[in-house]
Amino acid sequence: MPSSFFVAWCQLSHSRVKLTVAAAGVVVAVMLMLVQLGIRQGAMDNSVAVARRVTADLVVVSPRTKTIFASAQFPRRLLYRLGSHPDVTVISEMYMGQGRLRNPWNKLEFPVSLYGLDPGSAMMNLPGIEKYESQLNDIDRVLYDGLSRKNYGPIRQYLETHETLDVEVNFRKVRIVDSIEVGISINTDGNLFTSSANFLRLFPDRNPGAVDLGLIRLKPDADLVAVKKVLQPYLGKEAKVITRQELIDAETVFIRENAPIDFIFGMGAAIGFFIGFVVVYQILYTEVTNHLPQYATLKAMGFSDRYLLFVVLNQSIILAMLGYFPGFVLALGLYRIATKAIQMQFSMTVERAVFVFLLTVIMCGFSAMIAIRKVRTADPADVF
Amino acid sequence: MSIPHITTQTNLATDFVPSLLAERPVISARHVNFAFGEGDLQKQILFDVNLEVGSGEIVLLTGPSGSGKTTLLTLIGALRKVRDGELDVLSRPLHHATLEDLVNVRREIGFIFQQHNLLPFMTARQNVQLMFHLHPEVSTHEAAKRTVDLLTSVGLGERLDYYPARLSGGQKQRVAIARALAASPRLILADEPTAALDSQSGRDVVNLLQELARNQKCPILMVTHDPRILDVADRIVNMEDGRVHSVEG
Repeated sequence: MPSSFFVAWCQLSHSRVKLTVAAAGVVVAVMLMLVQLGIRQGAMDNSVAVARRVTADLVVVSPRTKTIFASAQFPRRLLYRLGSHPDVTVISEMYMGQGRLRNPWNKLEFPVSLYGLDPGSAMMNLPGIEKYESQLNDIDRVLYDGLSRKNYGPIRQYLETHETLDVEVNFRKVRIVDSIEVGISINTDGNLFTSSANFLRLFPDRNPGAVDLGLIRLKPDADLVAVKKVLQPYLGKEAKVITRQELIDAETVFIRENAPIDFIFGMGAAIGFFIGFVVVYQILYTEVTNHLPQYATLKAMGFSDRYLLFVVLNQSIILAMLGYFPGFVLALGLYRIATKAIQMQFSMTVERAVFVFLLTVIMCGFSAMIAIRKVRTADPADVF
Repeated sequence: MSIPHITTQTNLATDFVPSLLAERPVISARHVNFAFGEGDLQKQILFDVNLEVGSGEIVLLTGPSGSGKTTLLTLIGALRKVRDGELDVLSRPLHHATLEDLVNVRREIGFIFQQHNLLPFMTARQNVQLMFHLHPEVSTHEAAKRTVDLLTSVGLGERLDYYPARLSGGQKQRVAIARALAASPRLILADEPTAALDSQSGRDVVNLLQELARNQKCPILMVTHDPRILDVADRIVNMEDGRVHSVEG
């Protein structure tokens, strides 16, 4: 153990109260940073959740909008042209819209996201939807997302004991045939899935020829990029063909640029950083100031400035360690609570853990750097 | 540290005085001037100071306050830069020294201050042992052993693991002395080491210094006002108004 580290530990641990306060400051800072960045990531992930669910190889979108949530429609007929390419095996359209689902228990309406697609070849990751293909193709049948918020009433529990449930959506009576687990996002409280035909019955004003998304399945050995290049001229300027990854990237960029997620949660994390910085700085500064005569004595006896700088720096690193690990555990607990409370998935990632750890070390080191300036003023000639 | 050893010392003092004087002095100050401040605000503290301290000597530096004793001590202790005049300490010219040279000289000097200035968050043992960090050639095991020996020799063998807050003023000063002696210094500089102590502890501290220093053949330069301890001196240098006024002994 280097001797400057030993001195640092003696100095910090001599007063348990001071050590506890300093470590608690770092714990709060670490926790705030982890939770804020975690929620930021969770909100981001949720916002692009629909895009991530797409399993099609290529996606056709309107070139007019940046996000599929506020999508401009494009003519359905364009999709029929794509079938002429030898590598294209399945083409399917998808309609999306915001409707109102009336809670059958308290008779209140709540907004709900509606998806009209081909349940047989959804090309979306909607686990178990194929089982309901024939039912959903019947008139006015919908599938309920079991992970929807509780606004709509205990629909999922009801379906566990009953075959179906009749509800009102957009002033039309529809029958929920069952629930599957998909997941909601920051944009939506609940999801209903149905066939294109049923979707259009719920939105009588919508033009059936205007679709929101085209989903294309290619032959397994097809070259995505090459096919994409060939297909684009088929569509002209009215629609755009992109890969699944491009769709996800575009959604992420859109959220970044248009939702204040980065700002709000980035700010929260910055405040955490600042709190930790101030607490650590205060503690280190008073430690240095109170022991300035002793530091000057050490200098007079031949200890270098460098040695004393390391004493202060080591104290900051000890505080970073003592604060990080409890803060990390607390943050894990808060993730769990938040996941339950907000019904959005928050999880710890290695990247975030490492990132916040580095932030913590920087935070403490930075405090030390400023407190250290005081050490230089310890003049050994003043000791006499 | 045995009786026969001290006997030979006495012989040394009488028989070999010429050869001792022939050695290079440990401290040699020639025409040293020193001033604080610059330009109009400049205030000169030391005027043409000449001083030699030889090996094994105990020299007391006395004089009224403001006479420049402490300033001279800080110059000799390599805590300030010499700007005018020549000052050799431990055969090194401090008037040509860089900051790094100064730090290196400090490592060979044992300092004892008016305030003990022990690190309050470390025990007596840890405070003394810390000094060996400056002397990596001493093994950790050896350092631990010498620390215990030193603290025992200053009468604190029973209080090795006491924090300074639980030691009396005299005990703290004795820890400070053990610390100053830890790394076998070649020169001891002390600034009123007895000022904060009652007469008995003051006397104990001086006796201890005298005994330990004699055994290690290491010269002591001590600033003091304390008339009770003048008898330990080989020489007394009296300063007044920044000049060496008289030398006794």
